[in-house]
Amino acid sequence: MAIEERASTHVYHQKRMLSKEELDELEARCVHDEPPYCSAACPLRLDGRAMTAALAGGDFDGALALYGKITPLPHILASGCEAPCRDKCRLGEPGESINMPALERAAACFGNKTGGAGMLRLKKKKTAAVFGSGIFAAFYIGEIARKVYPLTVYSGFENAEDFLAAAAPFADGECIRRDAESLADADVTFRRTERMTPELFTAERGKHDIVCVSPDFLKELGGGEVNEALMLCEELGVITAPEARRGVLDAAFGARKAALTSDRLAQGLSPDNTRGEEGSAETRLYTDMTGVEGSKAVTAADGLYTKEEAVREAGRCIQCRCEECIKGCAYLQHYGKYPKKLTREIYNNVNIIMGDHMMNKPINACALCSQCSVVCPNGYDMADICLRARRTMVDTDKMPLAPHEFALNDMEFSNTEAFLCRPQPGFEKCRYVFFPGCQAAAIAPETVERAYSDLASRLSGGVALLLGCCGAIAQWSGRESIYNDTVKLLDDSLVRLGNPEIIAGCPTCAKMLSGQENARVTGIWDVLDDIGLPAGARGLDVPAAMHDSCGARGDGHTQSVIRRLAEKMGCKLIETEYSWDSSPCCGYGGLVQYANPQVAREMAQTCVSRAQTPYITYCMACRDRLAREGRESRHILELAYGADAGSPPDISEKRYNRLSLKKRLLNNIWRETTPDMDCGFDISYLPEAKAAMDERMILESDVTSVLEYVRETGEAVQDCDTGLVIARRRLGNVTFWVKYEERGNGYLVHSAYSHRMNVQTR
Amino acid sequence: MADKNYYTIDPEGKLKCLKCGVPLVKGKAKFMYLDNGFPVELPVCPVCGFVYVPEELALGKVLSVEKALEDK
Repeated sequence: MAIEERASTHVYHQKRMLSKEELDELEARCVHDEPPYCSAACPLRLDGRAMTAALAGGDFDGALALYGKITPLPHILASGCEAPCRDKCRLGEPGESINMPALERAAACFGNKTGGAGMLRLKKKKTAAVFGSGIFAAFYIGEIARKVYPLTVYSGFENAEDFLAAAAPFADGECIRRDAESLADADVTFRRTERMTPELFTAERGKHDIVCVSPDFLKELGGGEVNEALMLCEELGVITAPEARRGVLDAAFGARKAALTSDRLAQGLSPDNTRGEEGSAETRLYTDMTGVEGSKAVTAADGLYTKEEAVREAGRCIQCRCEECIKGCAYLQHYGKYPKKLTREIYNNVNIIMGDHMMNKPINACALCSQCSVVCPNGYDMADICLRARRTMVDTDKMPLAPHEFALNDMEFSNTEAFLCRPQPGFEKCRYVFFPGCQAAAIAPETVERAYSDLASRLSGGVALLLGCCGAIAQWSGRESIYNDTVKLLDDSLVRLGNPEIIAGCPTCAKMLSGQENARVTGIWDVLDDIGLPAGARGLDVPAAMHDSCGARGDGHTQSVIRRLAEKMGCKLIETEYSWDSSPCCGYGGLVQYANPQVAREMAQTCVSRAQTPYITYCMACRDRLAREGRESRHILELAYGADAGSPPDISEKRYNRLSLKKRLLNNIWRETTPDMDCGFDISYLPEAKAAMDERMILESDVTSVLEYVRETGEAVQDCDTGLVIARRRLGNVTFWVKYEERGNGYLVHSAYSHRMNVQTR
Repeated sequence: MADKNYYTIDPEGKLKCLKCGVPLVKGKAKFMYLDNGFPVELPVCPVCGFVYVPEELALGKVLSVEKALEDK
């Protein structure tokens, strides 16, 4: 029975996959875009990570551009910065922190200002004045000059260089000169005054819209309470700072806040609204320091870094970022997005009702393996997001059937034609039922047969056999109604068998079946650990890596038992990165191999790249996909039962294996005869036709159906150039075409292809 | 107004309907998918109406339009 395709693209239902609150809560767990430790510690929020990256690459202009964003007087700030970032730099744990002020100085010295930012800025109509001198006033002048307000400075100095030299005695002459130069183009007038008096202030302040006084001059004016968040003395109506000598960085930060307040007041806006985050903060960033070796800061031979020294020092920066999930996941690497961003895009994609849904592919390309939830310091789980998205898309009729139809049909095949439920001969009700899983029957039927015989002979109370799919495929596709039908089918079967304890052959089946009401599930690995391995069980002769199944995520017991069994069989196991609970998915999980074969391949390649040895798996799908990447891989049960399943079967062989296993078991164990599987005529395939069919997910049974149809109706065309006959048949939601030549009582297939569109004459 | 056709293939007498024994001709056909229709001209049997979809078309244009519609 074909699964129903969505009726139309013009159906507009809406349902949220998450409430806004749930989305916010989830997004808050991802710390990828939290600021690095150095930036968070800096009240001016210098992006130290980006600046060191630029410097390490020799890009001094880029570094200056970043540094220039936080201050108008880069040379002076770099000379006097107290560098609170040093205490927070993670490199300080195993060794010495990055010498950020020295790098700032190098950026300021060797970098050239690029671009013409500000060149075309229109001069503001309102004017500003500064009364007094000092470091706060110096930075404020710089900030206001950048905002293009015409500015008059009343102080004891007649030019910028003298003003800055007095304000920043810690900076050398070159620094003063270069920062003073940067003010040269600005509309700043220095009014030298012998003595700064309240009278002067009273006489002049009315001429300006924005008035700033230095902290020292504020005292002369009688003082007043200063709102430090706004740098505003409301009593006098002036911009100012609370104290004169708190440090260079504090002065720069105060000037930044004061400049923003000035802007707001000049525009007639409230100064305390929408200011954004200001000042230093705590960051929630996570950085894994495992393997990071400590080093000493580069020493400047001449007191100041040379270019080469700065590049070396910047090169020590470890670029703190939280990418724990991305590092191990081929899916996140493929889309190049971190979970918070991906979640937001998926959320938006599911919410839009019209137009292109650009995130459908990423939604269907997640293996739902939850590796991210284990490696993320905050347990972020993309599987939960993607599965919710899939379910919501199904509910709103926005989920295309194409990515999952083959898998769902395959599941239906497992649970109809290839389905088998029988109690052990001699028992009506059984104490156990062996559930090997659909992939075991499809990939290693001989192993399933031997395992069943072994369990039936060594366990007492009767061991029934249940061949079918646990419903994982339906669940992964987001189609809950199909999943519920599967649960009912399995429930009914278990009731017929007397509610036996399930012995699962696959960790995913074990997990799925455990979720069912009243189900008692044990893994076959636990049974073998308990009753002992069968005679003849033998491990690999060469060291092998263990590939843990994502179905066993969170199940340390199973992960340990499997290793114990492998070692009992004589396997020499080597540990790899991302093993045990943080194992990556092979690409079968979440139906990725059907929905997005490219991402699935990248996943399998990630798996095999962890070791150069053969792999031992305990999920048959993993065994299959790793072998497809050309790596020897064995399921633990193949070793236990001495049955090497050989090279990976194609999609048609997987069906044939399930059917012939069922037939063989029915004949041999239950003495039931089964109908012949022969279609009555011969079909052979060119090798390229077989390869194309596997890639295009066309089964031999589809080809047989087309040929049966042409034999019945005679409907086909012949290509006069090649002589080949081309026939077609619509099966469910797909039209299959077969190109062939007749050979006696049979056919040689040259090619097969399909399309989902329906075609008719008009 | 002339009919709009998204795609045209003329069989140029190189294809023959095996059932009716006549050459396929360029005929009016329509692709339908998810409630969307696309008029085309494809090789059609003038007698039984068999519409031929060549492999290149199925794996090329048809597939890309299918994918685009699936994400609508």
